[in-house]
Amino acid sequence: MTTTLEHTAAVATEGGGLARKQNFLTALVGGVVFAWLAWYLAHHFLDASSRNYSDLVTTALTFGWIFGFWLGIGALNGPGRWLIGADHTRADDLYYAGENQGRKRYWKYCTDHKVVGVQYIVMTAVLLGAGGILAMAIRTELIVPGNHFVNQQVYNGFVAVHGMLMILALIVAVAGPWANFVVPIMCGARDMAFPRLNALSLWTLVGAAALLLSVLAVGSLTMGWVVLAPIADQAGVGMDFFAMAIIVFTVSTTVAGINTICTVMTMRTKGMSLARLPIFVWASMIAAALGLYAFPYFSLVEAQTLMDRTVSTSFFVANGGGTGWLQANLFWLMGHPEVYVILLPAVGALFEIASVMARKPVFSYRTAIAGMTGLAGLSILVWAHHMFTTGWAPTLGGPFMLTTELISIPTGLFFLVIIGTIWRGNIWMKLPTVWLFGFIFNFIIAGITGIYLSDIPIDNQFHGTVFVTAHFHYVFVGSVLFGAIAALAFWYPKVTGRFLDETMGRISFWLVFLGVQVTFLAMFVSGFKGMPRRYSSYSMIFEHANFVTTIGAYMIMSGMLVLLGAVVRSWNHGEPSGPNPWHANSLEWMVPTPPPLENFDVLPVITEDPYNYREELVRS
Amino acid sequence: MAMTPKKEKLTGIYISTFIMTVLGVVIGIYGPSRLMPRSMSDNMHLSILTIVVFTVAAAPVAAGVYAVSLHALRHWTHRGDDVPAPAADQTREHPVLVTSWVLASTLLTVFLLVWGLGALSVDNGGVGRNPLVVDVTGQQWLWTFSYPGSNVQSPTLVLPEGRTVEFHITALDVTHGFWIANMGVQIDANVGTTTEIHTTPNALGTFDIRCTQFCGLNHAYMVTTGTVVTKDKFAQWLASQSTKA
Repeated sequence: MTTTLEHTAAVATEGGGLARKQNFLTALVGGVVFAWLAWYLAHHFLDASSRNYSDLVTTALTFGWIFGFWLGIGALNGPGRWLIGADHTRADDLYYAGENQGRKRYWKYCTDHKVVGVQYIVMTAVLLGAGGILAMAIRTELIVPGNHFVNQQVYNGFVAVHGMLMILALIVAVAGPWANFVVPIMCGARDMAFPRLNALSLWTLVGAAALLLSVLAVGSLTMGWVVLAPIADQAGVGMDFFAMAIIVFTVSTTVAGINTICTVMTMRTKGMSLARLPIFVWASMIAAALGLYAFPYFSLVEAQTLMDRTVSTSFFVANGGGTGWLQANLFWLMGHPEVYVILLPAVGALFEIASVMARKPVFSYRTAIAGMTGLAGLSILVWAHHMFTTGWAPTLGGPFMLTTELISIPTGLFFLVIIGTIWRGNIWMKLPTVWLFGFIFNFIIAGITGIYLSDIPIDNQFHGTVFVTAHFHYVFVGSVLFGAIAALAFWYPKVTGRFLDETMGRISFWLVFLGVQVTFLAMFVSGFKGMPRRYSSYSMIFEHANFVTTIGAYMIMSGMLVLLGAVVRSWNHGEPSGPNPWHANSLEWMVPTPPPLENFDVLPVITEDPYNYREELVRS
Repeated sequence: MAMTPKKEKLTGIYISTFIMTVLGVVIGIYGPSRLMPRSMSDNMHLSILTIVVFTVAAAPVAAGVYAVSLHALRHWTHRGDDVPAPAADQTREHPVLVTSWVLASTLLTVFLLVWGLGALSVDNGGVGRNPLVVDVTGQQWLWTFSYPGSNVQSPTLVLPEGRTVEFHITALDVTHGFWIANMGVQIDANVGTTTEIHTTPNALGTFDIRCTQFCGLNHAYMVTTGTVVTKDKFAQWLASQSTKA
């Protein structure tokens, strides 16, 4: 069945004036012009001899950039026309949804949630690629002791930007593509609740990523991705770009989070009760809600850092009455929930994949929701375990140890659900399943090493060492990235109508899976031996473990390149998949591939959850 | 489609769980203590012991999950290129299993917590009478140690064996991390504030102090060696340093 919505083939691209010529290129032009304008004005009116001059000028420039970028991409058209009383007509809305615009719409401010999903796939790849290149530079520098490859200043900047790029990449890796592409269809909706906000979140992310990457161009970022005060004050103007990139990024996640929650809450089709929602929809919604709690701290702490630098406030400056501990508290109030904003969509996707591939219902659906909700709830009460060794409030050590260790209970439920789902299944060993098993292996290691670090006597030894780095890379690379790739392999056929190349995908899996073990087990060894984090060089006792880690890192990179090759190649040349390649029951598999604009001719009525695998349904 | 799937042999799962648990316990007992720096204080000893205990406690959980995964890969995968039929077992709920899982993980967590809090209180235990006070000052990218009561200021740390040392730590420029890699104690050196930790060296020899808080350009080179000497030698050293000054 290949019904597509035959909208009248009127050439929607004509008429409408300048607004219809806007795309990524005009956004770049707008951004650059306004950045220059803002820089020029600031430069003209500010006293060049003042201490804050260069930071103020830079901040003005970044404001100009993002405003010009929004103007250039067309983000302000809709609200502007509504404001002056010339709101969009239906034809305008269809134009912005990308009707009949072919591939051009991927470069535009397109409100179709499926286009936004694909744009997010590309953004994830760009961010992972840039962060990955930096990771390779870092590991190459650390292959032998001493500084040979990049100088320390550049190295420190690489560490900071690698960290932040990867955090951004993983925040959007599952939620970006799939909460946009499949969640509305899973709910039985024609689009997201706020299609324009959806486009806004994507293009704001692009603007933020550009700011973050420009840090590398201006250099001089010397303080690691957590940008602790007071060392952030020593950094050059790169810090201003960095802070502004994060403030802009939080606008993007806030808008996206509100959109996801509203879509799930208000746009579900008839009969789609909350108890019948696919588990991935729950995961996306809980993660979005947690993001709404967490990310305001992020923009707040970066705004305060920026104000300390530009207008001589002293939130974090000790000799002005401030304290770096305030910065650390605010940062980790964001920083720990953020880990679960990243993790939950990946786990939700894996629940979905485990069920479809094992041909069994999600085991203990309600426990899965309870586990995710419990994790989200607990995560806002554990932030100070990142500060056990700072000296801040030693009496709170015990309570924060308690809340942190409680996290193993909801996390344990994830294993219960996944193991219970594959138990006595009839498991279909395709690419998504392979990555699922990789996730199970890695997430156990991530979890257990996390328990060590939650314990203060152990943390007193391991805090600030690469043991911590290895632990959270098992979480982010070993677990979240594996979940993200499983999700990509699972839903790729819905986007392209083709399977992700199975052979290349498996080669990629083994390279990345073995690479993760080699890289991060060796990094655990360095941690046990006592190598601190963020070292640009190290003493001879860490030599062998670091060499092995670097070799493992190259394995991961080659695996990711094979995966990239598979994604690009299969897009047009992969094996055709049909609309429901996995013979699943949730709504996204019931619509044609690729799904038409507005998804459904007639909105479906739901009578049961999607986990009843019966012969007649499966053969549809 | 049989509604009650026939009883399947799961002995393989039990055997591999057992084998992997033993493996985990052995790695847990021998691994960390071999890899970690030589223990020179009770705090360090406690850190290592806690790692061993936690690994032993976690080993059966990890082994169980791995055993089921391996069993699934061997026995529960669909062979052939066709679409697999729905699994014979379509279980959605298992109240007894879920309850016992939650109870077991809660008990395990409570055990870890009780152990951890106990270890923490030992770690934080009283300083005792007559501790040696050492003032530690971090700056980019070196440490300075001074011994109140004398006029000694030294770039290296010398400590007497068997006497509790209380470190008063601060920083001049940015935050640094004061960590004695052989003694399991660590705390930040903050600008404008003094933080305190204490430990009792219980072995003679040298140890490493490494900065654990990112502090700029030469963070990787902010390393100092310290020495634990006998009480007599320490008194001699202090006297010789103070006459030099």
